[in-house]
Amino acid sequence: MTRAPTLQVRAAVAGRVVLAAGGGYAVAGLATALLSLTLPMPRAEAVTTATLLSFAVMVGIVVVVFAARSLGRAAAIIGGLALVLGVALWFVTGSLSIGSSPIGPSP
Amino acid sequence: MKQGFRQSMAWLHTWSGLVVGWVLFAVFVTGTASYYRAEISRWMQPELKREAQVTPEALAAAADLAVVHLQTHAGAARTWFVTLPTPERPLVELFWRNKPGTPPGHVLLDPQTGAPAAMRATRGGDFFYRFHFELNLAPLWGRWIVGICAMVMLVALVSGVITHRRIFADFFTLRRDKAAQRGWLDAHNVSGVLALPFHLMITYTGVVTLALMYMPWGVTAAYKGDQFAYFAETGQITKARPAAGQPGTLAPVGPMVGRALATIPEPLERLTIVNPRDANSTVVAVFEEPHGLSHEHPQVAFAGTSGDVVEVLSGGLKPAAKTFTTMVGLHEAHFAGAALRVLFFLCGLMGCAMVGSGLVLWTVARLPKAGVATGFGWRLVHALNLGTIAGLPAGIAAYFLANRLLPLDLGARAEREVWVFFGAWLAVALVGLWPAPRRAWRGALALVAALFVAVVIVDVATARALWDDPAWFLGFDAALLALAAGFALVSHKVARFAAPRRMRRVMEAPAAAPQMGRA
Amino acid sequence: MTLLVSLGVSFLGFAALCLSMARHHQAVWSGPPDRHRTLTLRAAGWGLIALSLAAAIRFDGWNVGPVDWLGSLIGAGLLLIVVQSYRPRALLWMTPVAAAIALVAALGSLV
Repeated sequence: MTRAPTLQVRAAVAGRVVLAAGGGYAVAGLATALLSLTLPMPRAEAVTTATLLSFAVMVGIVVVVFAARSLGRAAAIIGGLALVLGVALWFVTGSLSIGSSPIGPSP
Repeated sequence: MKQGFRQSMAWLHTWSGLVVGWVLFAVFVTGTASYYRAEISRWMQPELKREAQVTPEALAAAADLAVVHLQTHAGAARTWFVTLPTPERPLVELFWRNKPGTPPGHVLLDPQTGAPAAMRATRGGDFFYRFHFELNLAPLWGRWIVGICAMVMLVALVSGVITHRRIFADFFTLRRDKAAQRGWLDAHNVSGVLALPFHLMITYTGVVTLALMYMPWGVTAAYKGDQFAYFAETGQITKARPAAGQPGTLAPVGPMVGRALATIPEPLERLTIVNPRDANSTVVAVFEEPHGLSHEHPQVAFAGTSGDVVEVLSGGLKPAAKTFTTMVGLHEAHFAGAALRVLFFLCGLMGCAMVGSGLVLWTVARLPKAGVATGFGWRLVHALNLGTIAGLPAGIAAYFLANRLLPLDLGARAEREVWVFFGAWLAVALVGLWPAPRRAWRGALALVAALFVAVVIVDVATARALWDDPAWFLGFDAALLALAAGFALVSHKVARFAAPRRMRRVMEAPAAAPQMGRA
Repeated sequence: MTLLVSLGVSFLGFAALCLSMARHHQAVWSGPPDRHRTLTLRAAGWGLIALSLAAAIRFDGWNVGPVDWLGSLIGAGLLLIVVQSYRPRALLWMTPVAAAIALVAALGSLV
C-alpha cells in the first residue's frame, strides 16, 4: 500500500472489485444452475446442494481474483471458468433459452 | 498488487472489512439482541400477564375468535396468519397480507374476549429482529444490502485467517502494554480467532437463510423459477393449493385446531389461512420444531371449506434439505436452552467486538505522525466508527427509554419509538465530528453507559406496578446494568488505548484550529 | 447443567495448552517450562479438549452435543484469556474449582 496510489493502481483495484463481484456471482450462479440439473440425486436435493455450495464457490472466486498475479490473469481464469460452465449448461439444457441465467460482465 | 499471496490477502482483509464494517456491526448487534427477541418483547409490554397453561380448548376458541375478527376486518386479504396464545405470551397475533400495493395488516387480540389487547403499542424485540436483516429499509433493498455485506464478511473472514500468521502462538495473547495498535490488534485477533467457528457458521448460515433470494438460479434451471414447488418438493412446506376463483365459506377452524393438536405432539405455533374466501381455501397448522438443531416445523394442511386433512408434514427430510434446515436452525438457535443461549449471546458479542475492534484498528494503525493533521479519509472513518459503535447502542437504550416514557395513548406510538431510536443514534453519531477523537470516544461511550442506567431507573420508577414476575424484570434490568458497566469500562479503557501518551498531543493538535475557545 | 461439564473440562484443557507456552507459563511460575513439562501439558490439554467433546456428546447426543461443545470451548476460552492476561496467578485456584464443578455436574447428570 503506497500512500498515494497511482491512477493505474486504482484502476487495477477497481477492476478486481468488479471482477470479483460480477465474475464471482456469474460463476457461482452458472455452477448452481449446472449442478442443479446434473447432480445425481432427486431434483429438490440437487437444487438444495447446489444452492448451499454456491456461496462457498463465490468466496473462493473472490479470493482467487485478489490473489492472482495480475488483473488480466484473474480475468482469464474467471472468464475461462464462466465459459466452461456456460457451455456445459448449454449442452445440459439443450439451448440458451434459460434467458434469465446470470450472465455477468464478460471480461 | 505485485506482492505475495499473504500481502494481497492482508490488503483484501483490511479493505473488505472496512467498507462493510459499519453495516456488519449493526447487523451483529441487532442479531445478538435477537437471541433474546421474545424477552425484549416481553419487557417492552409489561402489561402482559403470563398464564400457567393454555388448554387445547382455549386454543380452538382463540382460533375461532381470530377468524371472526379477520372476517370482519380483513375479508379481502389473500392470506391470514394467526399466531396462537402460549403460556409465555397469552395473546392472539393477527397478520394479513393484502393484494400487492396495499400494506399488510396487524393486530394483537385478547384471546378471551377477541377485543384488541390493552397494551402499549411497540414493535418490541421484533424491531431488532427485522433490522438485523432488513436495516429498516424496504425489505428487498435491506436484504440485498445485508446479503452483500455478509458475503464480503465471509471474504474478510477467509482472508483474515490467511493473513494471521500466528494463530496458535497468539491464541491466548491479550497484551496489556501501552502500544495502542498492539492492544487493539490482540483484541481483534482474540475475538476473531476464539469465536471463529461461530463467526463462520453465523455468516454462512445467515446467507443461507435467504439463499433462494440471493442465488435463485438453481430453482430457475430446475423448477422454471417456481420456489413454492421447490419448497414443497423438499418437504419444507405443504403443497400449494391454487385458488379456484369461486367463492367458498371457511368451515369453523376450532375443530381443525383440535385435530391438528391430536396429530402432532409439539406446541402449535400458528395457523396460515390461504385464500380464505375461495372455494379452494387452505388452513395450515404450523407447529414448533421438535427438539434438535433442524429448523423444521411439522405442519398439517386442511381443506378450508370441508375441514378435511389434505397433507401432514412431519420430519423425513432428505439429507440436503436436512442440511439446509439445520443451517437455518443453527442461525436462529431456537433449539438452545438457557445456558447454551448465553453462550450464543457471548459469541454474538464477540462478533460485535471483532467488527468494532477491526474498525478502530484501521484508524489506530493510520494515526498520522506527530504534528501532521489527520486527513479527510481518517476523519470520515473515525466519525463513522464512533457513530456506529457508540451510536447504535445509544439508539437501543433510547428505544427502551421511549418505551417507558412515551404517553401510552400517543398516536403511532410504535413508530415514534423507532424514531427515538434513530434520533438518538444520529445525535450520538454527530459526536463523532467533535475534533478531539479520544474525548469524543470517552464521552460517547460514557453517555451510552449512562443511558442504559437511565433505562433501569425509569423502568423501576414507572413500570414496577405492572410487573407480573418482579424477579424476571429485575433480571432483565440487571442485564442492562451489566451492559452499562461494559460500556463504562470500555470508555475508561479508551482513555489509554485510543490515544496513548505518545499520540495525545498529536491528536489534539488538529483540534485547536477549528475549535475556538476550547478549555 | 450438562453444559457445565464440557465448560469445566474445556477450561482445564485450554489452561493446560496455555501454560505449555513459555510466555504464559512464565506469568504463573518463574521461568519457562522444561521440555518434559511442555509435552505433558500439551498432551493433557488436547486430551481434555477431546474429553469435553466426548462429554458433550455423551450428555446431549450427536445432534446438539457438538454445538454444546463448540459453545463451551468458546466460552471457556474467553474466560481463560481474560483471566490469564489480567490475573494469571488466579489460574492456580481456578483450575481446581473448574475441575470440581465439572466433576460435580458430571456426577449430577449421571445419577
